[in-house]
Amino acid sequence: MQKFLPLTVLSLTLGTATLSRAAGATTYPLTLTDDLGRQVTVKAEPRRIVSLLPSDTETLCALGVCDRLVGVDTYSDFPQQVTRLPKVGGLYDPDLEKIVALKPDLVVVSKYGKLEGPLTRAGITVLAVNPETYDEVFSKTLTLGRVVNREAQAKQLVLNMKRDIARVEILTRNATRKPSTYLEIDPAPYSVGPNSFIGVLLAKAGARNIIPASMGDFPKVDPEFIVKANPALMLGLDLKTARSRPGWNSLQAVKTGRVLPIPKELNTILGRPGPRLPEALRGLARLVHPELFR
Amino acid sequence: MSYEQEGRVLVPPVPRRLGRTAVLVLVLLGAVVLAVGLGSVTIPPGEVLGALWRGITGAELAGNDVIVWQLRLPRVVMGVVVGACLAVCGGAFQGVFRNPLADPYLLGVASGAGLGAAVGIVAGWPRGTIPLAALVTALAAVAVTLGLAREGRRFPPTRLILAGVVVGSVLSALTTFLMLGGEDRARRVLAYTLGDLGFSGWPDIAAVLPYAAVGCGVLMLLGRALDTLQLGDLTARSLGVPVERLRLLVVVAASLATAAAVAYVGIIGFVGLIVPHVVRLVWGASHRVLLPVSALLGGTLLVLADLLARTTPLSQVGVVTTLLGGPFFLWLLRRGRYE
Repeated sequence: MQKFLPLTVLSLTLGTATLSRAAGATTYPLTLTDDLGRQVTVKAEPRRIVSLLPSDTETLCALGVCDRLVGVDTYSDFPQQVTRLPKVGGLYDPDLEKIVALKPDLVVVSKYGKLEGPLTRAGITVLAVNPETYDEVFSKTLTLGRVVNREAQAKQLVLNMKRDIARVEILTRNATRKPSTYLEIDPAPYSVGPNSFIGVLLAKAGARNIIPASMGDFPKVDPEFIVKANPALMLGLDLKTARSRPGWNSLQAVKTGRVLPIPKELNTILGRPGPRLPEALRGLARLVHPELFR
Repeated sequence: MSYEQEGRVLVPPVPRRLGRTAVLVLVLLGAVVLAVGLGSVTIPPGEVLGALWRGITGAELAGNDVIVWQLRLPRVVMGVVVGACLAVCGGAFQGVFRNPLADPYLLGVASGAGLGAAVGIVAGWPRGTIPLAALVTALAAVAVTLGLAREGRRFPPTRLILAGVVVGSVLSALTTFLMLGGEDRARRVLAYTLGDLGFSGWPDIAAVLPYAAVGCGVLMLLGRALDTLQLGDLTARSLGVPVERLRLLVVVAASLATAAAVAYVGIIGFVGLIVPHVVRLVWGASHRVLLPVSALLGGTLLVLADLLARTTPLSQVGVVTTLLGGPFFLWLLRRGRYE
């Protein structure tokens, strides 16, 4: 795959025209297993959808059914038009009454909200669609596409995303040096393993993650380990914080000033395994290899 | 090694006490040596000793020296200071309230510190100011508790405990409310309140040490008065102990020490509650013995717990203290005769 990247881009570009006609319309009632392992039957094409996960909101809009959303969670803020929709609370404080009052024929939820019970009892179809890994971003896009009768658009969207990702990869793959990188997602400190969604993007952005896969996806890291690894680049904190930590003054990244906070907008997209994945990758690649984007 | 009987002399003869203290000091030193030698990065003993030597003499630090001198040793020393501090304050609180369930966080110190930290974190203040914010709110919380519990010039124990519990609950609820507001900062606040020795450096130790030394020093000087207080308020008064002033002094001293500890390393549970009881079960209940021995044992326990947190997937020191301390204490409780 790595070797034939330019070919991949070409075939992805050419393939879009033929593929989009191959996908058929969804037939209802549609029965599928959701991310909570429940058997869910969608009786007819959903017309009034409530989305309780920002990445699902973005995916539904990217599939062209933004106008069918009648409510979203507190954190859904993209695309612009969803900010005008009624807000029905967040993961910890969902407003059940408000959701039911919107008369949705489909509510898309995360794995963790425990909303499926009460909403199902209220006679509402609830579907947990919760992308977490890199590969799931694509598979869940296709799932949502099937559910809302936009299978062709979903396949097209996945192809476009993969093409845009490959374009960034072509740049970073030919970078002369790949800096050893420590990415901090929480000052406790927590970092990301290579198999996590962000870890995959980090590798594609042309960085060598100092965290080995054996430490898990979101490990709490002993500061000793970071000092020993002596990364050339640190992301997710600022230079002042890094300097204030015991023993960090002597690290490569701190000495050369390669300690970069992740801009707020990019940080938001990085936490959303959805259609803006290529954008997140571009943002990361710009931080890791600014010389490639001049 | 049995529980002291009433009517017998509470203080054992001197040689035995010296021997016991020596053993405990050696155990603490052993724990420190072990904890400085082991970590997520493996460093040979020779290199560890070299690093310590170069650190003490102020020579140029090279290679793994930074890890040993700037990260590991401060972390271990902080463990000793905080562990000792929590155990002494816990013991003093249990004595002054004559309540076996008292711990250093009884009067709202921890939730006060948690709230201060949460405000600072959510408002995005620089990292260095967070402990100071926590310290201020921790002491303010104790002041509120004392104000609520006061009856004229007296501080009845029951009122103090109840006021402390309620102040703590209210402040915890405020902290939770703040956490729900800032999604991405919630985990940071949570991590802070869980307790962690992770980024302790020499400056942090220098900041905590004065509070800890003054607070715990005062408590240890009050050992004899605390012993007398065990006979009841009335008896203690008739023996010339200024009960109210003693209670206030213990609360202020312990709160000062605990607030500093919480401000810099978060809330580490269990050490302050359990260590004094272990000491009572094994060495008797006299506070003149209980408080210094608790300091040695508390320091040892926290250093070893943090060693496990650093080198195993348990990763959070509070989890280790409770997971290992709990069953051990229950075993001791079954073995000993606790009255």
